[in-house]
Amino acid sequence: MEKIQQVQQQALDQIEACTDLQQLQQIRITTLGKKGSISSLMTMMKDLPATEKPAFGQQVNDCKKTVSAALEKKQTLLEKEALDRQLQQEKIDITLPGTALRSGTLHPLTLVRQEIEDLFIGMGYTVAEGPEVELDFYNFERANIPADHPARDMQDTFYINPQVLLRTHTTAIQMRELEKAQGRLPIKVICPGKVYRRDDDDATHSHQFMQAEGLVVDENITLTDLKGTLQFMADRMFGKGRQIRFRPSYFQFTEPSVEVDVSCHLCGGKGCPVCKGTGWIEVLGAGMVHPHVLDMAGFDSSACSGFAFGVGLERVAMLKYGIDDIRNFYINDTRFLKMFDRFD
Amino acid sequence: MRMSINWLKEYVDLEGVSPQELAQKLTIAGLEVEGIETMAQASGLVIGRVLTCEDHPDSDHLHVTTVDVGAEVLQIVCGAPNVRAGQKVIVSRVGAVLAGGLQIKPTVIRGQQSNGMICSLSELGVDKKWQTEQQLAGIYEVDESIPVGESEVLKALGLDDTILDIGLTPNRADCNAMWNIAMEVGAVLHRPVRWPDCQGAAKVGVPGNFRLSSKTDKCPLFIGKVVNHVKVGPSPKWLQNALHAAGIKSINNVVDISNYVMVETGHPLHYYDLKKLPHHEITVVDDVEMTMQALDGQEYEIRRGDLLITTGGVPTGIAGILGGEESKIDENTTSIFIEAADFNAVSIRNTARRLGLNTEAASRFIKGVEPLAAIKAVDRSVQLLSSLAEARDFEETLVVGELRNPERTVTETLSHCNQLLGTSFTMEQVVGVLNDLNLNPQQQGDQITCTIPSYRTNLNIREDLDEEIIRLLGYEGLKTTLPQMKATVGQLSDRQQLRRTLQRTLNAMGLSEIITYTLVSKRYIDHGLMPLGEAIELASPMSEERRYVRTSLLMSLLECLAYNQNHKNEDVNLFEISHLYADQKQQERLAMVMAGNLQSSRLHRVQVSSDFFTMKGVLMEALEKLGFSAERIEFRQNDLDQEHFHPYRSACVMLDRKLLGVMGEIHPSLARQLGVSRAVAGEFNLELLLESKAGKVRFTAMDRFPAVHRDVALVVREEVQAQQLIRSIKAAGRKLVREVEVFDVYQGEHVEAGSKSVALSITYQSGEQTLTDQQIQSVHQSVLERLKNDCGAVLRG
Repeated sequence: MEKIQQVQQQALDQIEACTDLQQLQQIRITTLGKKGSISSLMTMMKDLPATEKPAFGQQVNDCKKTVSAALEKKQTLLEKEALDRQLQQEKIDITLPGTALRSGTLHPLTLVRQEIEDLFIGMGYTVAEGPEVELDFYNFERANIPADHPARDMQDTFYINPQVLLRTHTTAIQMRELEKAQGRLPIKVICPGKVYRRDDDDATHSHQFMQAEGLVVDENITLTDLKGTLQFMADRMFGKGRQIRFRPSYFQFTEPSVEVDVSCHLCGGKGCPVCKGTGWIEVLGAGMVHPHVLDMAGFDSSACSGFAFGVGLERVAMLKYGIDDIRNFYINDTRFLKMFDRFD
Repeated sequence: MRMSINWLKEYVDLEGVSPQELAQKLTIAGLEVEGIETMAQASGLVIGRVLTCEDHPDSDHLHVTTVDVGAEVLQIVCGAPNVRAGQKVIVSRVGAVLAGGLQIKPTVIRGQQSNGMICSLSELGVDKKWQTEQQLAGIYEVDESIPVGESEVLKALGLDDTILDIGLTPNRADCNAMWNIAMEVGAVLHRPVRWPDCQGAAKVGVPGNFRLSSKTDKCPLFIGKVVNHVKVGPSPKWLQNALHAAGIKSINNVVDISNYVMVETGHPLHYYDLKKLPHHEITVVDDVEMTMQALDGQEYEIRRGDLLITTGGVPTGIAGILGGEESKIDENTTSIFIEAADFNAVSIRNTARRLGLNTEAASRFIKGVEPLAAIKAVDRSVQLLSSLAEARDFEETLVVGELRNPERTVTETLSHCNQLLGTSFTMEQVVGVLNDLNLNPQQQGDQITCTIPSYRTNLNIREDLDEEIIRLLGYEGLKTTLPQMKATVGQLSDRQQLRRTLQRTLNAMGLSEIITYTLVSKRYIDHGLMPLGEAIELASPMSEERRYVRTSLLMSLLECLAYNQNHKNEDVNLFEISHLYADQKQQERLAMVMAGNLQSSRLHRVQVSSDFFTMKGVLMEALEKLGFSAERIEFRQNDLDQEHFHPYRSACVMLDRKLLGVMGEIHPSLARQLGVSRAVAGEFNLELLLESKAGKVRFTAMDRFPAVHRDVALVVREEVQAQQLIRSIKAAGRKLVREVEVFDVYQGEHVEAGSKSVALSITYQSGEQTLTDQQIQSVHQSVLERLKNDCGAVLRG
């Protein structure tokens, strides 16, 4: 009996002292293995009187259980320690920069264009486009711009021949859309695109630029509808709470015509250098579609009315992002492009 | 238009209205005031007489003076060279503030007390261009007529004027005339306007022998009048001041009257010295070619089509632009001929532009003059010449052409007006505005009929009246509403969707969008990639750099690459989507350029370099996203364009056997020419994508049975392409081959020269059962045999 106690104690001491998994396996073999110290106790049983055998057997079994349990416990402990050590070794400097997976950017003019397109799509407009190499007919004639108008001069317009030119405004798209409708109402389009004028390139002029124009024609369209629509647009493009203001102006294809000012998004209307101290920024040209324009396109101007508006995308982008030189849009310096990495 | 407030007061009572207030009202009504300018700016001035003037004891140029300013006598030290005893001068007293904010304080100058300052015009802020040499050189000598002690100095000198600089929209050219702009002022202030009473003044005169004619329809009206006696002399002060305010120099009474009347009526006038006209005859022609000297002393080349004034067959002026030198009015002029003619605006514009002559007269004709302005101008000329230049002995007014009187009516209804504007104006409001504007509204029920005066050439239809109503009643009261109409579907077209998918996919893979110029040089056209067709050339380009409409995008992108590389932007991965145009053709294309790395991190050892295979991968992914799977795409030997591309690292990309585009490494010689590094570029026709049927997104069941991978290393001749091997494998393995991946290509040691080793991983899998070893063995065997037969491939030993 004492022998059992002794063997058990010895095994437990060894387990207690053990510090690695390999050693622990060794202990398992030398204690619980076939020829291990505990197994050998069983061989002692045959020398015992039969009456003591059951109790001895019971004690050896208990001893086995105790040692087994101690081994298991130690095993778990050592495994955890080993894992901890491994994790410790795998430590990284979490402040090192991440692997930059760079995505590309949309051109800032595309950002503005898509923003406008999407806002009007939401109001039930379709997006209309047209050729940049355009007929004088759609660019001028149909837009009610008379033949002797200065805009129709070679000095201002890139003519290809007397009938063909590079469109000078996206109004040409509107005129095609009006014709395409063949007098059917309603018309509700937003017309973005590149346009060209014979201007010398400098910080504020570009011989190529982009516009977006909107056109709505139906029965009973009013000037207040135009104001409401543009108010909605101003809120979306320049932030909620913008005010808009109409000032009388003149375009050949609208009557009445207005310039549209939006309250300055930088100073909130108090006056700052961007709005030249006025609190207002001129952003759009607009008006009620001229009845001649409707009649020429096959509508009955006494039975319908419409509004139209136009905005320069460069101007919007310059105001929105604070860009000071229009040439930046066409140089495409990658440092410039990277700045416009989201809709904002 | 420079509008003098003092001049305006001739026609409208401005009592109680400040220039600032008027400016704001006009701006709101559509006459945008862009600047407010004062002729002079100073306070605390008084007229004085210099009593004594002694040299300063301690200075070689200063004077010590005593000046009587009425209430007291001041001692003032003055440095002006022209100061002397007895002069009447402008004195700024202690406490005065001069132009630029200079404040006058009592001071001691080199021991002498000085209690004020004797002023020059410059010190009052008078622009240099209105001063004589003498005035610029020293203090201003005041006219004897102004009494000592006068403290309203600016007013007394006619320098108390304010000028509103008004930007006019093209439809309001009528407001380039003081009389007409006065009507606007009357309308915004609701005050009556009085024009000078001169109508019919030109009716005086007896028949004479002067002959007028026009040989061109570009001069539809010519009014002339001979005045046989005038006396040339200086203009009265008020006239000089008025012209200064309008920005015109005073010359003499006769010339000044012609300019004054021009500003009043808007019609350019020309007065000739009658004695200097060799023949008493004037003819307008437009069929002469010659060089002529004009009033400004310069010589001008006249071409056929330019309008000319001739006398006795000899040109004397460029019609409507500049008079001739020979017939100029001077101090000896005693009789004159008055010309008031209408010239065709387009003709004047063309001539003036070509000759670089942007004269006041030309600019007025170009903007347009109202039909009755010519006769108004002659009437007023006769009146003013009579009262200011002793004009008499008039001859009968000569008229060539017809005096049109385009008086017309325009009718609008109150209900249509309110419907179009979305307003609820009353009849009273509307009629009030139309009355203020002098449009003579006659009301009948809902209907209002206006009789339009001749100068409002822009009022022709009812909507024109609606604009008058809203601009004067004010846009600020306008409500905001949204159109009440049938619902419409807002959406993008297929083309627009395709464009957005491309933008989104390419962005996600690291490429950025650019927009470049459409107009390019001849060199770009010559270097077109898959040029769309015959390039469109501008009729009159601004420069050689921008002469043609581009027929390919490649060069624009390479230029952008060069710019970025020159600015040390090393990783350049860009794309552009744009329409191209050529004779009778248009096409939308996508182009890409890539150089440097697409993704890289030295720290984390990641590098995706911008090479052929990266661009190919980008393209394939983009096409996949558009519904064009890899099986439909083929990369063929580039036999289309080897000028711009590396002959062995470029390809024609085919979609369903049709040419989609070309891509590859830029040819090293082109790269050198453009100063760019190794780069890949490609250009693709989006029309083909729009015409081709895109695949649908479809669910297929996930494989339930295990896949088996077999790796093989094949030795083939080096010209055998990977695509051939893959095709053979798929052909032999049929449905059991799920995937073939090329994972290594090797040439060198242990591989015979002229051959290469290609390592592939073949995945076998069935959708119906677990493949047995035997089945796999059998299909793999037939694959290997096929590879041997088709491609001469042998297993690498």
